[in-house]
Amino acid sequence: MTGTAAPAALAAHATLAASAPGAISAPPIEYSQLGPMLVVFGAAIVGVLVEAFAPRPARRGTQLALSLGGLAAAFVWTVVIAASRQVFANGSPGHTAIGGAVGVDRPTLFIQGTIVVLAFISVLLIGDTRFSPFVAQAAAPPGATAEQEGLAAGAMHTEIFPLTLFAVGGMMLFPAANDLLTMFVALEVLSLPLYLLCGLARRRRLLSHEAAMKYFLLGAFSSAFFLFGIAMLYGFSGSVSLAAIASTAASNTSNSTLLFAGIALTGLGLLFKIGAVPFHSWKPDVYQGAPTPVTALMASCTVVSAFGALLRVFYVAFGNLTWDWRPALWVIAVLTMVVGAVIAITQTDVKRLLAYSSIAHAGFVLTGVLAVSTAGLSSALFYLVAYGFTTVGAFAVITLVRDPGGEADHLSRWAGLGRRSPVVAGIFAFFLLAFAGIPLTSGFTGKFAVFQAAIASGETALVIVGVLSSAIAAFFYVRVIVLMFFSDPVPDGPEVVLPNVFSGTAVGVGAAVTLLLGIAPQPVLSLASHAANQLFVG
Amino acid sequence: MTGVLAAGTNTDSVAVETVFWILAVVAVAAALAMILVRRAVHCAIMLAVVMLCLATMYAMQGAPFLAFVQIIVYTGAVLMLFLFVIMLIGITAADSIVETIKGQRLAAGLAAIGLLVLLALGIGHAAIGPAAPPSPKYGSGNLTGIATLIFTTYVFPFEVTGALLITAALGAMVLAHRERIAPRPTQRDLAARRLASGQVVGDPPPGIYALHDSADRPALLPDGSPAASSVSSVLNPRTGTEPPQVVRPGEKPQLEAADGGEREPAPSAGSGRAES
Amino acid sequence: MTDQGMLQHLLAAPGTEPTLASFNTEIWWMVLLKAGMVFAFLLLTTIFMIWFERRVIGRMQNRPGPNRAGPFGLLQPVADALKLPLKEDIIPRSADKLIFVIAPVISATMAFIGFSVIPWGPEVSIFHHQTPLQLADLPVAVLVILAMSSIGVYGLVLAGWASGSPYSLLGALRSAAQVISYEIAMGLAFVAVFLYAGSLSTSAIVAAQNNGWFFWELPVSFVIYLFTMVGETNRLPFDLPEGEGELVAGYHTEYSSMKFAMFYLAEYINMTTVAALATTLFLGGWRAPWPISLWSGANTGWWPLLWFLIKVFILLFGYVWLRGTLPRVRYDQLMALGWKVLIPVSIVWILFIAVIRAWKLNFNSTAIYAVAGLVFVLLIIMVMAWDEAAQQRAARNAPTEASPQPAVAGPGQPAAPAFPVPPLDLPHYHGTGVEPGNSATPAREVTGA
Repeated sequence: MTGTAAPAALAAHATLAASAPGAISAPPIEYSQLGPMLVVFGAAIVGVLVEAFAPRPARRGTQLALSLGGLAAAFVWTVVIAASRQVFANGSPGHTAIGGAVGVDRPTLFIQGTIVVLAFISVLLIGDTRFSPFVAQAAAPPGATAEQEGLAAGAMHTEIFPLTLFAVGGMMLFPAANDLLTMFVALEVLSLPLYLLCGLARRRRLLSHEAAMKYFLLGAFSSAFFLFGIAMLYGFSGSVSLAAIASTAASNTSNSTLLFAGIALTGLGLLFKIGAVPFHSWKPDVYQGAPTPVTALMASCTVVSAFGALLRVFYVAFGNLTWDWRPALWVIAVLTMVVGAVIAITQTDVKRLLAYSSIAHAGFVLTGVLAVSTAGLSSALFYLVAYGFTTVGAFAVITLVRDPGGEADHLSRWAGLGRRSPVVAGIFAFFLLAFAGIPLTSGFTGKFAVFQAAIASGETALVIVGVLSSAIAAFFYVRVIVLMFFSDPVPDGPEVVLPNVFSGTAVGVGAAVTLLLGIAPQPVLSLASHAANQLFVG
Repeated sequence: MTGVLAAGTNTDSVAVETVFWILAVVAVAAALAMILVRRAVHCAIMLAVVMLCLATMYAMQGAPFLAFVQIIVYTGAVLMLFLFVIMLIGITAADSIVETIKGQRLAAGLAAIGLLVLLALGIGHAAIGPAAPPSPKYGSGNLTGIATLIFTTYVFPFEVTGALLITAALGAMVLAHRERIAPRPTQRDLAARRLASGQVVGDPPPGIYALHDSADRPALLPDGSPAASSVSSVLNPRTGTEPPQVVRPGEKPQLEAADGGEREPAPSAGSGRAES
Repeated sequence: MTDQGMLQHLLAAPGTEPTLASFNTEIWWMVLLKAGMVFAFLLLTTIFMIWFERRVIGRMQNRPGPNRAGPFGLLQPVADALKLPLKEDIIPRSADKLIFVIAPVISATMAFIGFSVIPWGPEVSIFHHQTPLQLADLPVAVLVILAMSSIGVYGLVLAGWASGSPYSLLGALRSAAQVISYEIAMGLAFVAVFLYAGSLSTSAIVAAQNNGWFFWELPVSFVIYLFTMVGETNRLPFDLPEGEGELVAGYHTEYSSMKFAMFYLAEYINMTTVAALATTLFLGGWRAPWPISLWSGANTGWWPLLWFLIKVFILLFGYVWLRGTLPRVRYDQLMALGWKVLIPVSIVWILFIAVIRAWKLNFNSTAIYAVAGLVFVLLIIMVMAWDEAAQQRAARNAPTEASPQPAVAGPGQPAAPAFPVPPLDLPHYHGTGVEPGNSATPAREVTGA
């Protein structure tokens, strides 16, 4: 059937649905601007091929090089796009690519760059096989002889590298997605590998399975809510494009039920990924059960990505409806800050403690989101960078403090650590101070920026709550520091292993960035405000 | 209905309206039944009914492709896998109704009532107008319309879905595939192992030469002792460690005497039969 | 096939090529009439097939087959059809009654519906009304058959579950896994046809085969379809869900009387439907085969019905031939064939023909066939080389013959009393040989020991 004659022939088939091949004109695909994502996805697919064809001993090295190389290339490419005069010619805020599915603008590029760097550090942690936190044979039931055999043979699932890359690719697409359909696909692409990775811990496997199961079930629920929300918004505006929803919302005021239901449900899906109260209950269990490098990946990259998506949806699609969603988000921000800080006080497990601290921090970033201004956007972006590096570093330290049976997660095991290995304990204390927002750390600068933006847009009450919950949070951070430095060491306390290149880099970069952003935040602050001074493209 | 489907237009609005209300009632009833019935297989069947109703509604909306894909993919494949798993692991109606968190049901009930009130207040006040018509029109060509959207506007999410599928396949491999650590034993290895074990043929079946044909009676070895391996491990051998009843300890000398061939047929055979 | 040809055909014989539009103008009694015809045809085919199968298999096994009832045993299926409903209808006590009753109905109903979209011929005149010889057509008609077969499986699976018997359940599980696996390959075999025909409507697919059957253009798809159609209908050598050697009768072990008859009916109707679909998609549908097609009247009037039936019955004969020839495969072999052979081959084949079509559309050169052939040969060589390498690797890794390990217990070790032997005091041993000196006395017969 040739293209020219086909329409004539098929005209006889009056209502026949088929049309001639070639009748659809292919949309232009801006490969150069999608480059970073394509590189990451491409590296992941090559990784799958490596799994299929490379001999087993060569896999780990190949996969590690491939992952790190792919992420490094993606970062360079992101920087190149951000610096490109073509995309941002004449003060353009960027534009949408590939049929309007993906937005290429400065805030997105900033977020993507952050995700890629944080993912690079997380992959370093994942690739550290000295005390591999990953299971040897996931198919072997916990406690079975097959598990012992797998451990003895030194088996390893090198599939975790391509899975991580797929997750990172999804995270990069999530904040860039310019229509809700793409955003939903990205949400699933980033979530599915994470569900899997959570269940692959080597020790305390049942806990890990439980974490994966909870994360999967709750994640599926939140995805369903997000999808319902998309359906509502489609019903309201007849389109899933963020810009179209915004323009319909501006013109059509008659049918607002669908719109508000849509805002609520999509917002719920996004707030779940962030871990805002009351959608936070998965976070402690999942952070505790997952292998620590995966926790580091989730705590840094996923949060950054989800905030990027939240910012884009609420600033672009619902930007004209600030008065409608602000009160609800205000309540959630307050709840998130207070609940995260208060419940953290009672925690006895380091990873759970950091999970609750991550919830509280999500509340602080929401303060920046609530500012609904360029200052709010830039402060939120800066906060995400600061928090991401600190949290990756903190989880890297946790991988170093080990009992014979694995990581020493219980806080009582950390007692007196400062006397036995002052350097590691000191660095951890530094991270905790950064979480608390003590001056000379990145945490202070971030909180300052966020609160300043919030005050500037009149959210003084919110800032007061924020400062109060910061004070509560500071209490338990300081308590851990006191525990480490001013109590007697436990007799057969955990051993602190010397960091190798991988974990050493992770800890070092985390600490350096935390310090740098505390002392000299100006370059990154100005980069963030430069990125944010033009909002997302619609 | 054929004409309706083929043309992709709703010619007879009364018929369509009628069919819609029938389907709506059936679908909602089936959905309710799905959460109320106790057997998992019945749940799955109810879900199938809901899906079929939805498929018919899609067809009525002039989307026959979606309708049949819904049937093939969801009813035919996904739900069939559900059924497969339900049957394979034998989920029964015996649900655990123990409250793991105290007062959980009370709290859930209160929260549900609260939510209902909230929804009733919210939705009751709001007027839900007609939904916006989908912006681009693709004529009656449902198939070409989908193809156009997939390969133009949504080509990127469509391609990215590939990443999702690869992830799913990879995840299934990671979670379910156990790599062989030792090489697979060949037929030769198995034969050698069997010879080395001293037992060339398989385990003896129970009851053989034991004057009983019950599955929980062990077979007897040449010396009259019971062969423990002859009884399936899921059964509790009725004799345990003691020999089967036909060769009671007291009668053992008789056995030995019988070996010598000097005895008349022992009455033990008769007694063994009588009590079995 | 070119469009010019198709176009000319459409212009030359207006009205004989049914299109989707033809189905919008149907009169209600015509639809009823055609539905009745389909129903009667399927019932008659089933009855005929029962006789045909038994006779042919009889011939293949050097025996006459049924030959008592009527000439050539032709009335045998009638006798069977009378016998089945008259038997006692048993519902096991452990059965889930409602589902047990519904399952065969689902199976049979879906089998009937599937046939409705098969075209038997061009437009003909029935009572002075021009109407296509096809009950219904949709833009997605082929999907209807897939959908009906996938719902029909519910009958099998639910029957197996509702019977409350382990054999039935095992049959149901096998059936579920088998049909899902083979439906994927079947769908992929269709994709090539859709690409070439540019439509999913059965009448349009038949129309597209005007200048050449898809059998010639898509041989690989056709072969894959043949495999999957046997797998979908649970026929030998893929009749694992019934596997009477292992599962008594699989999913319908507990069924009797009319309910059993419905499964029987569904199986044969499904066979007819997939054979008719193979005819429609690959063998030109109702179009006359080559030497006959030279006659200008071959594709008009009621003649095409004959060509269609001949093709369908040749395929049905193939079913019987398979049953007479091949043993049942093992379950893992069945799954390996489906997932490791049929699906990958389908995917590679679809990519291959998609590339060819894209090339033809864009460059319109015949050189593509040379290139395609070359690529195909290269592909085969690669597969063979890979296979050869795998064989060699396996041979290298295999243990050498030089060191056989005789692991029998050495002569020094007394053999452990590891295996039961007959107790030597059993009464019936005493009569024979135990007392050699007394052999003259007749052996005492002891029974019941």
